[in-house]
Amino acid sequence: MSSDLSPIPPEAEPRLPAPGSRAGRAARWLLARYPVWPIVEHLAEKRVPRHRHSAWYAMGGIVLFFFSVQVVTGILLMVYYDPGQPWQSVQRIVMEIPYGALVRSIHHWAANLMILAIFLHLFSTFFLKAYRPPRELTWVTGLVLAGLAMAFGFSGYLLPWDELSFFATRVGISEIEKAPLVGGFLADLVRGGPDVTVATINRFYPLHVVVLPLLILGLIGAHLTFVQVQGVSEPDSFRALPPEQRKYHKFFGEFLVAEIPVWLALGVLLVALAALAPRALDPEANPAASAPEGIKPEWYFLSQYQALKLFPGSLELLGQALLGLVPLAMVAVPFWDRSIPADARGRLATRLGIAGLAGLVAMTLWGWLS
Amino acid sequence: MNYPVWDVPVLGAGLVVAIIAVFHVLVSHFAIGGGAFLFAAEWWAGRLVRSGRPEDGLRVRGFLHRYATFFLVFTTVFGAMTGVGIWFAIALASPEGTSLLIHQFVFAWATEWVVFLVELSLLYLYYYGWKHNRREDQVFLAGAYFVVSWFSLFIINGILSFMLTPGGWTIENRDLAAAFFNPSYWPSLVLRTVTMGLIGGIGGILVAGRMDPGDPLKARVVRFSAAFVVPAAFLVPLLFAWYWSTLPEGTVQMVQEGVAGLGGGRLTAITRHLVLAGVAGSAVMAGVLVAVFRPRVVTTGAAVALLLMVQMGLMGAEFFREMARKPYVLHGTLYSNSLWRRDVDAGPSVLKAPFLQRARWHPAVEEMSPEHGEWVFRLQCASCHTREGYRDIASRTAPWTPEFAFQWFETMHEPGVMPPFQGSAEDRAALAAWLLNLHGRTLDGRDVLRAAEKAANPAPPPAADPLLPREAQP
Repeated sequence: MSSDLSPIPPEAEPRLPAPGSRAGRAARWLLARYPVWPIVEHLAEKRVPRHRHSAWYAMGGIVLFFFSVQVVTGILLMVYYDPGQPWQSVQRIVMEIPYGALVRSIHHWAANLMILAIFLHLFSTFFLKAYRPPRELTWVTGLVLAGLAMAFGFSGYLLPWDELSFFATRVGISEIEKAPLVGGFLADLVRGGPDVTVATINRFYPLHVVVLPLLILGLIGAHLTFVQVQGVSEPDSFRALPPEQRKYHKFFGEFLVAEIPVWLALGVLLVALAALAPRALDPEANPAASAPEGIKPEWYFLSQYQALKLFPGSLELLGQALLGLVPLAMVAVPFWDRSIPADARGRLATRLGIAGLAGLVAMTLWGWLS
Repeated sequence: MNYPVWDVPVLGAGLVVAIIAVFHVLVSHFAIGGGAFLFAAEWWAGRLVRSGRPEDGLRVRGFLHRYATFFLVFTTVFGAMTGVGIWFAIALASPEGTSLLIHQFVFAWATEWVVFLVELSLLYLYYYGWKHNRREDQVFLAGAYFVVSWFSLFIINGILSFMLTPGGWTIENRDLAAAFFNPSYWPSLVLRTVTMGLIGGIGGILVAGRMDPGDPLKARVVRFSAAFVVPAAFLVPLLFAWYWSTLPEGTVQMVQEGVAGLGGGRLTAITRHLVLAGVAGSAVMAGVLVAVFRPRVVTTGAAVALLLMVQMGLMGAEFFREMARKPYVLHGTLYSNSLWRRDVDAGPSVLKAPFLQRARWHPAVEEMSPEHGEWVFRLQCASCHTREGYRDIASRTAPWTPEFAFQWFETMHEPGVMPPFQGSAEDRAALAAWLLNLHGRTLDGRDVLRAAEKAANPAPPPAADPLLPREAQP
């Protein structure tokens, strides 16, 4: 008999299913080969604090749900999408393929709702001050994930190659081009030349379906591992309670199970949006034509787009520098605001966060209405 | 065209009705299914008392009082508001159709109002007699409430199903029995009854969601409520198949074509909404099964998610039912823009007569002017289309040319989604000009007529010039 099998830890025995049952045999078979009982025990102990802001803990799971929808619908769209004939293949998807228009619309709406959910997750994490030590890297990986999600949106938007997607992408890349020193180089690199052409699709498509998924999957793995290892953060008001008043849900078996109906409802919401407001396919892009009136970037880029308009002419560089500071400041927050419970810096960070959120909403609305 | 037009910008009159109606359907179905729940839970509490567990019975009644409070507020306040709202909105959006229904079903509606009065009286007697009535009286009141409220469904279902499948009724015979007990009446009645039970159970899970996870009653209440939902969720697809078998052939065909996207379908929205109803129903089932297996972890958020799924599923089902009538508001008799089928059957002498001369509610306009076209739009199209909002006309006509528009109005009814155009060539030209002017052009009806004539009679090719070589000939 092999002696390389690991013994079952004695503390595991009472918590495993009965040895005679099928589940019990399978659990012991696995534990003998993969001695991960300490990890299982750690996860089983994971808990979520119960307080009046607990609902915000669900946002991460909601983002993950929308991401899963994107993966499934994205794979289905890839079956019929042809980067050599982008518009024609999308037209075929919406006109000929059974449920193709529905799948495409769900992909569109899930992308938008995922980014909205990311914003909600980000700001709720910020205002609950969950970024403070020891969770700095969870915060930083979350910020990078948000950036990758927006890159997903930007690269996917062009792929149908219709009028709207073409001109909106052209507007978006022209903003990159304005960046000092490297702007022109970056824009050419992204476009594959001096203008948006089919060569741009040849860059955006592999970026959208290979490069970004690899990056995002790796980072999601890291982000979730950090959350599992460190557990869920508790807000100051909860920590201040006497221990007997602090109540918790178990993460697995309680909190996660209660989230399932919410995910199901969001899945139904996606179908409802696809039924009420299906994503249209505009006429094929004609690079020689003049841009239709009112072309703007997608809503999640509108605040930056509108903010840059406040810095016309020679002030443009200043505007870009200030906008560039925003992500840097967000990365720096957990290394600057470290005190638990919150001190003067913590209170200032909250006020700055409120101002940032108000600015984001105001600029987005302004950009949308103007 | 005997009534003024209710021109609602962005939303359109039809969508206003739909928004109110979709919410009203949830409330009204809950008002009946919740009645069954009240009766069953009263019986359950009584059985616990009789079987020697009075404390458990009291605790179930405590839950039931919370349920009844939510039920009373939700169904009477929102039910009354949306019910009156529907009357107000449909009378404005489709006065001709509303008038027809009132005249056809005046006795049924009078009965319905009496039933409402009795239903509300019973509910108030039940709720406000909570402390004073004997328990047997409460059980009786809950049961009586359910029976009377179900009778309101018995009546309204005849009117709703009549609009899609009038059966042996015709505008000439006005046969009330044929209209009321029309082909889809019974499947629709059973389908709605089962759906109501499902919603009553979801209401129970919603109220139980607020109970503390440590309360041992929570799991029992959640499972009791789920017993209303799970069998119903299994039955609904079977009952829908029965309902489906009674639908007009054109509706069935339209749904099947919608599967293959815009190219294959004439009206893919109907298919999309049916898919929504199916997905929502399956998701509700899955969500409730989660609640059955882990009842103590059902939170208010999870229960609200279940209720929202039901609401979205009802939205899909009701949109499907409304679209299934297209292009009619009363199938085979009255089109959605108040054009009578008999006027179409009467032939061109009626259908192609100058339109504004037959319509009463419009200002004097110069013939073939843009205003003429706008009033044709308001009176014929605005019951379904807006300028730039829901089902907007602007994006649909963006690639149009004058000659295409003029010709399209002549044939738009042929695929079976739009009603026929009413009016003369001048009316068509005026409408075409107004629509094209939405895209920055400055045409009037005469320009459109000239373009259409030119397209119909292209100039003959120039004659060959015997002095030119063959390759230079035109």
